[in-house]
Amino acid sequence: MADLKDARVKSVLDDPSTLAVSRVYAMAFLNAAGDDGAEAVEEFDSFIDVLDAREDFRSIFLSGIMSRDEQLGVIERVVAPRGSEKFSNFLRVLAEHDRLSLLPAILVLVKLELEKRSGKQRVEVISATVLDEATLERVRKQISDAFDFEPIIEPSTDPGLIGGLVIRVGNKVYDGSLRSRVNQLAKRLQKGSLHEIQSGRDRFSTD
Amino acid sequence: MKFKADEIASVLTEEIKQFRGQIETSEVGRVLEVGDGIARVYGLQSAMAGEMVEFENGVQGLVFNLEENSVGVILLGDFKEIKEGDEVKTLGKLLSVPVGDAMLGRVVDPLGNPLDGKGPIVTSDSRPVETISPGIAGRQPVKQPLQTGIKAVDSMTPIGRGQRELIIGDRKTGKTSVALDTILAQKGGDVICVYVGCGQRAANVAAVVEALAEHGALDYTIVICATASDPAPLQYIAPYAGAAMAEHFMYQGKHTLVVYDDLTKQAQAYRELSLLMRRPPGREAYPGDVFYCHSRLLERSVKLSDELGGGSMTALPIIETLEGEVSAYIPTNVISITDGQIYLEPDLFFAGVRPAINVGISVSRVGGNAQTKAMKKVAGSLRLDLAAFRELEAFAQLGTELDKATQQQLDRGYRMVELLKQPQFRPLHFADQVISIYAGTHGSFDLVPIKEVAAIEIELLQFIREQKSEVRDAIIETGALADELLESLNAALAEFVKTLKGRFTEG
Repeated sequence: MADLKDARVKSVLDDPSTLAVSRVYAMAFLNAAGDDGAEAVEEFDSFIDVLDAREDFRSIFLSGIMSRDEQLGVIERVVAPRGSEKFSNFLRVLAEHDRLSLLPAILVLVKLELEKRSGKQRVEVISATVLDEATLERVRKQISDAFDFEPIIEPSTDPGLIGGLVIRVGNKVYDGSLRSRVNQLAKRLQKGSLHEIQSGRDRFSTD
Repeated sequence: MKFKADEIASVLTEEIKQFRGQIETSEVGRVLEVGDGIARVYGLQSAMAGEMVEFENGVQGLVFNLEENSVGVILLGDFKEIKEGDEVKTLGKLLSVPVGDAMLGRVVDPLGNPLDGKGPIVTSDSRPVETISPGIAGRQPVKQPLQTGIKAVDSMTPIGRGQRELIIGDRKTGKTSVALDTILAQKGGDVICVYVGCGQRAANVAAVVEALAEHGALDYTIVICATASDPAPLQYIAPYAGAAMAEHFMYQGKHTLVVYDDLTKQAQAYRELSLLMRRPPGREAYPGDVFYCHSRLLERSVKLSDELGGGSMTALPIIETLEGEVSAYIPTNVISITDGQIYLEPDLFFAGVRPAINVGISVSRVGGNAQTKAMKKVAGSLRLDLAAFRELEAFAQLGTELDKATQQQLDRGYRMVELLKQPQFRPLHFADQVISIYAGTHGSFDLVPIKEVAAIEIELLQFIREQKSEVRDAIIETGALADELLESLNAALAEFVKTLKGRFTEG
């Protein structure tokens, strides 16, 4: 779960064009897997786990240190005998296009896409204090009633909200926090008193 | 009928139960990079071109570029406080400025915020900065004059209400003065003025505001100011904001005058933005749509049809040329959009001819229809006469002997040139203009030494105003010079010349 949260472009360090390219490969991977999407993702995930466990291997395999032929050789020797044909083919394609470095990003996108295809979507629920399970469950139910997907709740906290909830679905933000309400109120009061001042001034001037 | 507390309590409770705080819904993205007045934002997938966005710290921006993976935003505020990774949300509305009577007499920035320290501007009306200009059916031909109060302009390059007349010239040739005099001339009239200072030195704008206030012209004028130190986005939108504020009055059936001072600087601001946004540069590194940038602005100047109230917006765009180069990109563009130009020359300016209007190449393509009959009559041959005079003058410099008729034509020419000079901040009423030009072309000043012409002209106008006011009033009332009126004018002039004879033949 934790790695999935990093998928969203939290900061600019994730280059949008890299994401765009990764998305193409992610879609292709899932489409190739067909109905066995979940299985294929599992295999993909386990491969990344292996890479994560061996930092030294990961750094030479994913970075550009190896030549393309060497990378293909590694795939033939290490992946092909153990993994499925589809997955080794996928790695070969990536290697041929010099895109192996995108592998972790592709995995994240593949997982998100798989969730989306099975009618689920990630929803970030930000609150001022930590919400208990019962409240989260209530929020989850209300969201699933309001939208036509099954929400996967990712709770987080931001004391600056003061109270209320901010719900983020993809690019859309539903801001029901006390902070934004207070801001709105401040604006309205300011506007009102402006009128008050002006009309008070107009009373004393002739034109 | 009485309210019963317990009865109403249950209703109120029900109401409160039903009440739900409104939830703000918006789309968000994140800042990828910030530059001089621009930001690139990731996300905002459904953002529309021209839509407003708001950054975390309250600074607003305008969607400028829509790209495959990101959105280019121009920032309408302090860009130094915006960081990489900041949240940006769409506001779902277009950039608009406050409009209405409360704006009159104020100095504001292009977003409508006051800059003059006279307190907040309270108006509930606002208008989008970018609007589509009225179509063909919504317009009618220009036929009502807009008096500039400048003899050389009103007589030879007349401006009509709804016209776009370009003021073009090198730096320091009096472009702003012509526009400013035109605003001053609207005093007591029915024209609302908007002065847009775009990319000007702040000191210059301050001087303009000072001059307007001093001559009592600020009461019917809005000054919009984006100085040279303001970021490019503000300079870019300033003229559109000015047009929007004038449009508000125009659609109420009122007459308006907008001065864009100057569009060269606006084009440069737009070039800066476009290059930062990596739009491909074209000629002189301006983007390809810099023509559209000006044409859509100037097309908003229009004389509305009677069905739409018959209001008008007259535009006086100003363009600064470099070394008299009118064939540069921006000057040619704007010349081709406008309905004529007033061309100011440094040579004339330094020779003491002020306003330094080159009457030979200044034209007004539609203003002729808008001239009053009286002015048309006296000014009809003025341009040709002056052209003939210039030719003769060049010929006379060769030192040839001249016959008496030619010499007389020359002398009168010198006096006409002298008569068309006009000090700043002294716009003349059109009747006064008619009288003095008529007097000049019919030889009333022939006796007067060239240096004295300006002083005697003032005397003449005073004489007519004080002793022959019926002639002046008749000109104002009818707007034409009927034969009868002409006779009494001739008689009045003859009387005045008689008083001159004693003074000048002796000395």
